[in-house]
Amino acid sequence: MAETVKLFVNGQEVEVESGKNLIDAFKVIGVEIPHFCYHPALGADGNCRMCLVGIEDGRPPLVPACKTPVAEGLKVQLDTEKIKKIQHDVMELELINHPTDCPVCDQAGECTLQDYYMTYDHQASRMRVPQVLKGKKMDFGCGVIHDQERCVLCARCVRFTRLITKTGELGIVNRSDEARVTTFPGRKLDNRYALNVVDLCPVGAMTSKDFRFKQRAWFLSRSSGICHGCAKGCNIFIDHNREKGGDDRIYRFRARHNGLVNGYFICDAGRLSYHQENEGRLGTTRLAGKDCTIDEAVETARRKIENARKPLFLISPNCTLEQMIAIKGLATARKGRVSGYSDSYIMEGDGDDFLIRDDKSANRAGFAALGIDTTLEAFRLALNEADLLVNFNNDLLRSEASGTFTEKLSALTVIAVSSHDNTLTRKATVAFSVSSYSEYGGTIINQDQILQRFTAAVVKNDPVPNMIEVVRLLGGPVTDDVTITKAMQDAIPVLAGIEATAFPTAGLNLKEKETDHVTA
Amino acid sequence: MEVRILSRKFDIADAHLLEVAKQHGAYATLDKVFAMPPADVTDEVKNSGLRGRGGAGFPAGLKWSFLPKGVDKPVYLTVNSDESEPATFKDRYILTRDPHLLIEGIIICCYAIGCHDCYIYIRGEYTTQRKALQFAIDEAYAAGYLGEKVAGHDFKLDVTVHRGAGAYVCGEETALLESIEGRKGQPRSKPPFPAVAGLYGCPTIINNVQTIASLPFILANGAAAYKAYGTEKSPGTHLFGISGHVEKPGMYELPLGLPLLEVIEKMAGGVWRGRKLKAVIPGGSSTPVLTPEEAATATLDYESMAAHKTMFGSGGIVVLDETVDVVELTKNLIDFYHHESCGQCTPCREGLGWMLKIVKQLLRGEGTIADIELLRELCDNIEMKTVCVLSAACTMPVRSYLDKFRSEFVAYATDRPKPEQA
Repeated sequence: MAETVKLFVNGQEVEVESGKNLIDAFKVIGVEIPHFCYHPALGADGNCRMCLVGIEDGRPPLVPACKTPVAEGLKVQLDTEKIKKIQHDVMELELINHPTDCPVCDQAGECTLQDYYMTYDHQASRMRVPQVLKGKKMDFGCGVIHDQERCVLCARCVRFTRLITKTGELGIVNRSDEARVTTFPGRKLDNRYALNVVDLCPVGAMTSKDFRFKQRAWFLSRSSGICHGCAKGCNIFIDHNREKGGDDRIYRFRARHNGLVNGYFICDAGRLSYHQENEGRLGTTRLAGKDCTIDEAVETARRKIENARKPLFLISPNCTLEQMIAIKGLATARKGRVSGYSDSYIMEGDGDDFLIRDDKSANRAGFAALGIDTTLEAFRLALNEADLLVNFNNDLLRSEASGTFTEKLSALTVIAVSSHDNTLTRKATVAFSVSSYSEYGGTIINQDQILQRFTAAVVKNDPVPNMIEVVRLLGGPVTDDVTITKAMQDAIPVLAGIEATAFPTAGLNLKEKETDHVTA
Repeated sequence: MEVRILSRKFDIADAHLLEVAKQHGAYATLDKVFAMPPADVTDEVKNSGLRGRGGAGFPAGLKWSFLPKGVDKPVYLTVNSDESEPATFKDRYILTRDPHLLIEGIIICCYAIGCHDCYIYIRGEYTTQRKALQFAIDEAYAAGYLGEKVAGHDFKLDVTVHRGAGAYVCGEETALLESIEGRKGQPRSKPPFPAVAGLYGCPTIINNVQTIASLPFILANGAAAYKAYGTEKSPGTHLFGISGHVEKPGMYELPLGLPLLEVIEKMAGGVWRGRKLKAVIPGGSSTPVLTPEEAATATLDYESMAAHKTMFGSGGIVVLDETVDVVELTKNLIDFYHHESCGQCTPCREGLGWMLKIVKQLLRGEGTIADIELLRELCDNIEMKTVCVLSAACTMPVRSYLDKFRSEFVAYATDRPKPEQA
């Protein structure tokens, strides 16, 4: 903990980190100050007036907590009748023109207005006059749907487009209770992070076209995960649910705060990449294009690997370090070559200076850490000499440029170990269906050398095996946790000094120098 | 009763022209001022007891002394000429009839506070006034009173007129700054106060037109001469705009401290048409109303008005005769403040609209006693919970109408016939 100050809250002395405002400082010690407009990434605006707190002997005696830095000896009052009355009154005013259409509102169950109503208001409406009517289900572009009547004018979304994306598509027009968030005529939201306004909106004013009406918030299980959409490794919540009679299914990704990696936000492409976890999966294990039992597939695959003179083991840059280690072990045992060639995952020029990276894979840095070759030259050489390709989830042909390999591949026996259906699984003699990153746990290193761990989020009704399990079945010698952990520590010595339970939640920065913190 | 300090040249033909103004003493104080150290100019203003004439009455010299010392940033003077408070019509006289008085005051103030760029924020509706002011500024530039060397002294000063777009809230000093900077006119949270971080984040002094226009007299004749007028705590003169149900509405310059009713009687000819006095709004629409009994003991100064639980305000006195329907008046008042609420913060944005609808409901004969209680409660719930005082400028007078004329509201709620219309 950095420097601290001692101050009083409701007469009790507490010690909090200096340099923070009252909301953030008190949150750490478990004291909630209600607020709508303040967000740590967007700063204090002071417009909602929900965070007004009393300062004993203060001038003024009433201040917005979001704009008030902690100070030695400050006597903050939160539980006085005066403050409770203000919170109650502000809530009443927030709600008088709110449609209270919770039964049909996507935000219900995770709505600040709902939560605060129960905590701070809890009275019948005294509104006996007509409400202000504003725009409904307005398509703001980028999959964002806006409801002006539900809006509390906290301006988080407006500030997001001004301060974070710097695209400024949103603004508040009109005055008084006619004020409303809108876009400029003919200029809708147009940035690759727009859906963050849905996360930021404390109420149901901003909803996602992709998610709305699909699932009630209270049915969703929220698991932590890491986005595999690119080499940034943004932290996410994987919101999933097993509906009665159905299978566990992901309904959305949301940004999960990690100051070391992505701050408070994720990109829209990453957010929507959960669709790929639900769809396009290989699903079943196949032998010569026909579904088969795993035993049948293993028997054929083992024989082919044992008989191969020069097998080539191709690894996906999305594999975890654990998976890579296991595959490498198998290859060594079978005297085969290993390649991590995956240029097809790189979209030159697609990245930006915020979160999106050119490299659309999650663990390319893992190849380097484990000494796995990724060059085109080595891959081409190995491929030309190979009589068997064992492909571990590498979508070699995902981009046009990789078409040069089709001729060679057509003459080659292919064993595919894959989470998703693709060109290579379709031509494979044996294709093993394995789990994808929302269903297993592991370790990955992002482009900035931040090593992160994640755990399985989704458990399917009929789980397909982890890739490591298939490697074991194929005769891989390095497949148990202890051996893999040892191998990982050998490759990344700094890990040896860290107890598994003491692993930093934000991830481990492998760079020796100071980290480039994302302060967003 | 009348004293002609600010309005000395108001009745002189063409006094808005530099040539005429100079014949009557315009810019005569500058040589004296530039011979003084700037700190002495501030002291002179402090000693004069001049208080801000925008409504709040904050001592002008004291405000200037809040400027941080030794900051490596430009200092700005912003003259608040947004005069938008209903019933207030004093600054417009200075702008059209003696703009050079204002410019002279600006030069004095800028010299005192070390400002070389002054902005005059003028309300959008003041078309004639802006033209007159700009004409005078152009004349002052041409004659060397503004520009690289002010009146031949080694002091540079530029004055820019910035037009508002018709928002009452832009008279609030930080909303005014936002507007000049090109953004939507919404008040800023304070602190920081403008003297520390104002226009473009730089130290800024914001004074009302009349405050600045009072400076030439103070510097020419000394603080003591100014203090000879008015009361000890409210020295000097003020431009009072008297309107409403009087025989002779108009603008009168008077020393502070005169009895309110006497002024209405002697200057404005008393309540018109032989009617009885119902109430007096003492200083613009946002000041709580006075009943005839209260008005009888009130004098026109900051202290007396505070003692009567109202405010001196902007000197805009509105006289209401016995025919006035207070509920209608309350509706008009809330209508204005609701329309002018910037919509930034919750209590003002949502609350004023609700209050307006409640009063309208009452006027339609659909209201209840509970609505009156709610209206009264909302005044308390909204007031002083907001970023600026716009909502308080509405709830304070509304509360005074509710408390002092409750029977009229009750009459609407209980279906009694409306009071006779004028």
